[in-house]
Amino acid sequence: MMKAIKQVLGDNLRQYTMVLALVVLMLVFNVISGGRMMTSSNFQNLLSGNAYVLILALGMLMVIVIGQIDLSVGSVAGFSGMVMALVAKNLNVPWYVAVLIALAIGALVGAWNGFFLAKLGIPGFITTLGSMMMFRGGVIWISQSISVPAPEELRFFGAGYMPEWGPKFTGMNNSTLLLGLIGIAVFIFFESRKYKRSAALSAEKTPLWPVVARIILVSVIIGYFTWLFGSGREGTSFPIPGLILLILVIIYHTITERTRFGRHVYAVGGNKSAAALSGVNVSRTYFLTMMNMSMLAAVAGILFVGRSTAAGPSDGNSWEMDAIASVFIGGASVSGGVGTIRATMVGGMVMAVLNNGLMLMGVGADKTQVIKGLVLLLAVAFDVYNKKAGKESFIDKLLGGNKKEEK
Amino acid sequence: MQKRKVMAIIMATAMSVMCLAGCGGREGSTAPAAEAPAAEAPAAEAPAAEAPAAGGFEADATIGVSLPWLGTQNWKEAETMFTEQLEAKGFKPLVQAADNKVPQQQQQIESMIENGAKVIVVGPIDGTQLGSVLEKAKDAGVSVIGYDRLIENTDGVDGVVQFGSVRTGVMQGQALLDGLKANKGDGPYNVELFGGGPADPNAPNFFKGAMEVLQPEIDAGNIVIVSGQTDFTQCATEDWDNSKAQKRMDSLLAGNYSDKEIDGVLSPNDGIGRAIITACEDAGQPNPVVTGLDAENESVEWVWQGKQYCTVAKPTQDLVAKTIEIIESLQKGKGMPATSVTTNNGKIDVPIYELDPVVVTKDNAKEVFSDDPDRMALLK
Repeated sequence: MMKAIKQVLGDNLRQYTMVLALVVLMLVFNVISGGRMMTSSNFQNLLSGNAYVLILALGMLMVIVIGQIDLSVGSVAGFSGMVMALVAKNLNVPWYVAVLIALAIGALVGAWNGFFLAKLGIPGFITTLGSMMMFRGGVIWISQSISVPAPEELRFFGAGYMPEWGPKFTGMNNSTLLLGLIGIAVFIFFESRKYKRSAALSAEKTPLWPVVARIILVSVIIGYFTWLFGSGREGTSFPIPGLILLILVIIYHTITERTRFGRHVYAVGGNKSAAALSGVNVSRTYFLTMMNMSMLAAVAGILFVGRSTAAGPSDGNSWEMDAIASVFIGGASVSGGVGTIRATMVGGMVMAVLNNGLMLMGVGADKTQVIKGLVLLLAVAFDVYNKKAGKESFIDKLLGGNKKEEK
Repeated sequence: MQKRKVMAIIMATAMSVMCLAGCGGREGSTAPAAEAPAAEAPAAEAPAAEAPAAGGFEADATIGVSLPWLGTQNWKEAETMFTEQLEAKGFKPLVQAADNKVPQQQQQIESMIENGAKVIVVGPIDGTQLGSVLEKAKDAGVSVIGYDRLIENTDGVDGVVQFGSVRTGVMQGQALLDGLKANKGDGPYNVELFGGGPADPNAPNFFKGAMEVLQPEIDAGNIVIVSGQTDFTQCATEDWDNSKAQKRMDSLLAGNYSDKEIDGVLSPNDGIGRAIITACEDAGQPNPVVTGLDAENESVEWVWQGKQYCTVAKPTQDLVAKTIEIIESLQKGKGMPATSVTTNNGKIDVPIYELDPVVVTKDNAKEVFSDDPDRMALLK
């Protein structure tokens, strides 16, 4: 039994602990709320409402992997969103110019943070604490503490849906359907390529059935979510902020796992001196990671302003904390070098689903905060406990598996 | 051998597509079901015969109330009153507060729509930042009532219940003037001005109303703003944060009043008023005439003891009562009650249901709170 599961899901089952927790959370909330959790509109809300945190978490993961922290992301998100709204309103430029200016500001702030960290060697915590104050003050200063309405077009990015087209008989939004089919096709393509390669490499026969099982499992999951997102009210679909997030996740997954820069990020985070000795340009890696983080903060700020229809002086307050929590729930290591984009997204979704489910139950923000805090602490404690040498993982124990540990 | 593998992969593809088609097929039958609550609800009401006119809803419907936070007494009171009174009227109240975080409030309102609320009462954190969420409510056929603060920049709001905010400011300005004349002899008086949180659309209006009364006196030389800070942006208090107001007062006193006495301070609410009074005490200044707003317990005591000159009561029960009156009118299918006052919120003209606040000084405190046992207990 255990062996079969391992063949389907891969050897390292520990990474599925949080996925399991996420699934359990969704099901439990769905039962408690009387089926209000797993509905099209609720999942659309869930993604539109949390896309900004998840986008921040993408950049934050890389920052945490290099062993730093960025406290300024909330302020930077608020600042770039506010600049965008002000520029569009006062200078009468088209909305996309305003968006580009906001992104440029994100990049500039990132370069500023990166400069102090990489060139002057000031710890990221202090550098970004400074930026956090500067840009929190900055957003209040430039806005004079008054909210500024944003260009109408931005709503599409913050709260929009993909277009409706094609035949009606599918019974759902065809853009969403297409997206789901592409997702399944891509997964099958990669799985079959991987299988062919391993079959070509190994002398003994590799069994085909785990691949098929994996494909069926993932297809069912993608299919279910395609249906969930696509079958809502006419005119709704997989939301645009979700689509932007999805594209960014694919990009950053590829960067961290498949590129040289990605390997440098992990190398620097794991052991800075060793990385430097083996020819990694440490300060360049620091600089680019910080710059990237602030650009993503600008993206998050733009999406949030789009959803809110206005930029406010308190935008971005304590967003960095949500992003940092997502990364750590996703199993990243505080000392750097460990963590993946996928796990971070799962961590972020755990927080989002928790928040959403408690709201559906009518639990107040105060208690929600307490519960989220406990979950963060427990998730990290659980992870640390499991990583103590020789301990078998919870799932291994649950399934009565072997004691072999990966990594 | 190779052929079989290829076949298997093709099979897998076919199966997954079938699965997806299966989901699609299932969806065909569930889609109407998903729409059903929307379509069913009016259908179910009509034969129920209780609803006299089209557009009403069940007498035990869920009513959402989204409040900004519970950090000040008036919001905590609103939470309790809405819960109790909506329950008493037979509704299912869903009252939540958002910890002063806009994204949290957006998500709360969305989850209220998910919970099938027929009316959502919104006390916004930032009146301009709920546009797309409230339009979602509108699309779902939910009526939205703004509570205490104007909701701007959206056509998804049906009406706003609030105390006239410019009117409140006029009362504060007039009370300050009366207090100065009563306690500080003849002018000219040395005065400083404070405003509320700039993100709250009421705050500039309070200030504007007060200045309508004070500006002529400043021009005539009866009132001297020693610091020269008379713009709302100079006087505003970020987030209505008392500690920020206290810091500003500290520096105003240190910078301008080393050789002068301060006679009066315009304060937009009680918390800020107490912060100002504390700052004056710390600086060794004689107690100035300080205004307030909200009739918080501590300030009611201070007014009674003479430390704070006055507060303005915006009785939460009046606001809640008016809001529930509107909800009942909507429930019976009578729509929003008529009102002559509207305000343009940037998108539409929003009907405003204005209530009049009450100035409370030591002289009339017992009278104002005569039917409020909690506050009467403070007047000892």
